[in-house]
Amino acid sequence: MPHITLVKKILENGEPCKKCAEVQARLEQSGQMDAIDEVLIADERDPESEGMKLAQSLQVDRAPFFVVRETPDAEPVVYTVYFKFAKEVLRNRS
Amino acid sequence: MTTVSEGQVTSMSPEEIITLAHENHDRVSISFSGAEDVILIDMACNVVDDVQVFTLDTGRLNPETYRFIDKVREHYGVDIEILSPDGEALSRLVTDKGLFSFYKDGHEECCGIRKIAPLRDYLQTVDAWITGQRQDQSPTRADVPQQQPDTAFGTDAHAVTKYNPLANWSSTQVWDYIRENDVPYNELHDRGFQSIGCEPCTRPIGPNMHERAGRWWWEEATQRECGLHIINVKEA
Repeated sequence: MPHITLVKKILENGEPCKKCAEVQARLEQSGQMDAIDEVLIADERDPESEGMKLAQSLQVDRAPFFVVRETPDAEPVVYTVYFKFAKEVLRNRS
Repeated sequence: MTTVSEGQVTSMSPEEIITLAHENHDRVSISFSGAEDVILIDMACNVVDDVQVFTLDTGRLNPETYRFIDKVREHYGVDIEILSPDGEALSRLVTDKGLFSFYKDGHEECCGIRKIAPLRDYLQTVDAWITGQRQDQSPTRADVPQQQPDTAFGTDAHAVTKYNPLANWSSTQVWDYIRENDVPYNELHDRGFQSIGCEPCTRPIGPNMHERAGRWWWEEATQRECGLHIINVKEA
């Protein structure tokens, strides 16, 4: 089973990113949240937050995003679109 | 079916309208013109699990638009159903009247073959469609609601509902959304094109002009609908 990380953002004004909230709600409604192994926060006010560091290392400039690793050593695959992630990763698992 | 009442109109977000459409109907498809209505796809990809998209390939779109359609397909992982005109009808038109008859005869006949007929056939296969129409785009769209029965393409035997999630949004809101969410957009927008249609019938516009002023500019402003949204003209 791949390891899946969801990164969601907190904006500079301290509010949660609207799109991130929508995607998480979608994941929870559909029961897909169970497939997410870890949730990291990219806090725009804190460049050292785990999500910000991961976004920087993977050069991702939008949120939410998903990082999928087939094995711990495998190259991460990044999805910035929920639908594409759900279609290519989650549906293949079920 | 849940409908949008007058009181709800201002309180429902585009995402809520998109969700509502999918809750109300089994077969819903998003109309994508290759322009800034791409945000409908972006929004749908966050709030529904089954995103169906179609586009009308008139055969006369700008190369930039074709490239953009493919880019969107790849970026979002959605299948975009490409609707094409009937070859025989098209051949008859261009053989009889040439490739630019619309400048002389008006755009209705050409649009009728390249856009309306394929759309009419396609809408028989869905229950509802979602469009990017906005009230601020042109005088013909000033009263567009967020949800309406499509009296132009629906029939007694097959009702079709049309959802316009962006009806109350301004151009500024659309472009803010595109920027804030890093939504890919058609490069023609950077060259002054606001409303994007077929290459011979679309040109860039200047500041303070209606968004659709660059479409069929040789015709009356009140006639500048290709027919996809003809109920706007009929009901106006």
